[in-house]
Amino acid sequence: MAPPILSLALPSETGRVLSIQSHTVQGYVGNKSAVFPLQLLGYDVDPVNSVQFSNHTGYPTFKGQVLNGQQLWELIEGLEANDLLYYTHLLTGYIGSVSFLDTVLEVVKKLRSVNPNLVYVCDPVMGDEGKLYVPQDLVSVYRQKVVPVASMLTPNQFEAELLSGCRIESEADGWEACNALHDVGPSKVVITSINIDGNLLLIGSHQKAKGQPPEQFKISIPRIPAYFTGTGDLMTALLLGWSNKYPDNLDKAAELAVSSLQVPVIFVICELAYLVKLTRPSGDLI
Amino acid sequence: MSRPHLRIFPENYSVPLSSSRQSNNSSRRLSPFAHSSSVKSPVISFCVSGRPRRLSGPKKLRMAPPILSLALPSETGRVLSIQSHTVQGYVGNKSAVFPLQLLGYDVDPVNSVQFSNHTGYPTFKGQVLNGQQLWELIEGLEANDLLYYTHLLTGYIGSVSFLDTVLEVVKKLRSVNPNLVYVCDPVMGDEGKLYVPQDLVSVYRQKVVPVASMLTPNQFEAELLSGCRIESEADGWEACNALHDVGPSKGQPPEQFKISIPRIPAYFTGTGDLMTALLLGWSNKYPDNLDKAAELAVSSLQALLQRTVKDYIAAGFDPQTSSLEIRLIQSQDDIRNPQPIFKATRFC
Repeated sequence: MAPPILSLALPSETGRVLSIQSHTVQGYVGNKSAVFPLQLLGYDVDPVNSVQFSNHTGYPTFKGQVLNGQQLWELIEGLEANDLLYYTHLLTGYIGSVSFLDTVLEVVKKLRSVNPNLVYVCDPVMGDEGKLYVPQDLVSVYRQKVVPVASMLTPNQFEAELLSGCRIESEADGWEACNALHDVGPSKVVITSINIDGNLLLIGSHQKAKGQPPEQFKISIPRIPAYFTGTGDLMTALLLGWSNKYPDNLDKAAELAVSSLQVPVIFVICELAYLVKLTRPSGDLI
Repeated sequence: MSRPHLRIFPENYSVPLSSSRQSNNSSRRLSPFAHSSSVKSPVISFCVSGRPRRLSGPKKLRMAPPILSLALPSETGRVLSIQSHTVQGYVGNKSAVFPLQLLGYDVDPVNSVQFSNHTGYPTFKGQVLNGQQLWELIEGLEANDLLYYTHLLTGYIGSVSFLDTVLEVVKKLRSVNPNLVYVCDPVMGDEGKLYVPQDLVSVYRQKVVPVASMLTPNQFEAELLSGCRIESEADGWEACNALHDVGPSKGQPPEQFKISIPRIPAYFTGTGDLMTALLLGWSNKYPDNLDKAAELAVSSLQALLQRTVKDYIAAGFDPQTSSLEIRLIQSQDDIRNPQPIFKATRFC
């Protein structure tokens, strides 16, 4: 039945994404990094901003406000009251507390009661290079409760190890970790960066039917000698965007996502190099 | 400081919300064609006026902070946009930010509220930012040397205290960049009815208009701010002149023009916010040709509205039976590359 306002009546060629991530006024992380690319790819994106900070937390300081689980649920209730809970995709990234993560699990349940085919793309942000940057107790919640309900998981190497229980020191280890994760829940797993012997790889794995061996692939990625923020959030958004357009070709989706990501990264490097040239006081070019 | 540029919208573009609505409403609604009592002509004129400006000089960049976000020059601009955020739907920042990003701007949104959906629905839930929390965000940006903006954009504001804080933001941003362009949509009401608290009107009139670089009121708001009744095109030009006078006077008569727009028999939400964002976007690209900027903005919006109506009809719905969510994502090509179908007529 059509609701009074017909937003849901219009078919979307792509999808409707509920994206629960941080919002920073300045900079491109969280929803600032994920929403625009998905909109460019033609998706209607409904962002729930889990925080509103002046800037991301990599700066010396930041100020702002944090949403708690109760306030998140209020927004869901508001949507429900207006029959606005039909989504094709749910996207989550960095989550800072167990209580918020528990509420997100309730959101998954609620959205699937409206659309049982909801695709939950989960970036299980917990840490990197051996170091946790979320509270320790989130790890078991992700492992025991979140991974089983995720449709697609996009961990980095460290997170894949935490969630699968497998140490990843080779490509073969990477495939094993994916298999272990398929057994728990997600049919699509992309380990977004694996460092093996100095080479950077992306590993993707798609189990098209339970019990069937997954289709697996890898993409070699050039190392770029610089730090960036927001690229993980951007990568997961691009993977959602492209894997929905090529649902049976995760490898093709990953190729497009990686290629998209490389371009702005290279662009920034060039801009920075140009600037460094500009500001050299001696006038000599580097 | 440049004088305010004005946009006056045709009356068919907005109606007041019914009195049962909450006062903190962030959406604008359109009236159906059928409500017009005297059908003069099938089109409505809308008049715009702008004083010619000198081309600005090269932009100066601040010294690089530890993180070089500001060091990278923007070919377009950096916009601080203080508007509402709704999870679902396209009003406020949901309506303004994506188009500006499509036009190549870096946009930093401050979300003055976060609601589940806009207040035109039977219910809504969410949280509201107060002036103090807004200021905290500005302080956070300041502490990191992140307050260099080329533009400030504001739309619906629900309280005097928040509006007063916005005035402080204007001052603060201009202390960092004296050339900041403040594009102000003075959202107060429509068709004779206020939908903000009464005391905002004098704050807009006495404090905000004098510091705005560009003003985009509808007919009712232009009347409230200029003190002129607008019942003809000539009245429209007069209201513009009165508003120019509130800023520093240079004595030169403004360049004025109008664009005729077809009535579309449907309700929409978010179009006012979208229009102001498009006017910011295009007028910055054509700083000495407000008429050309307005042509592009109007043409984008019209294409989007036509697509919206068409899509609803194709899905089997009668567009006149309820309010329509605009097809913003589906119209992105029209926003990026509008066909300038709607032409301005200059008024010498």
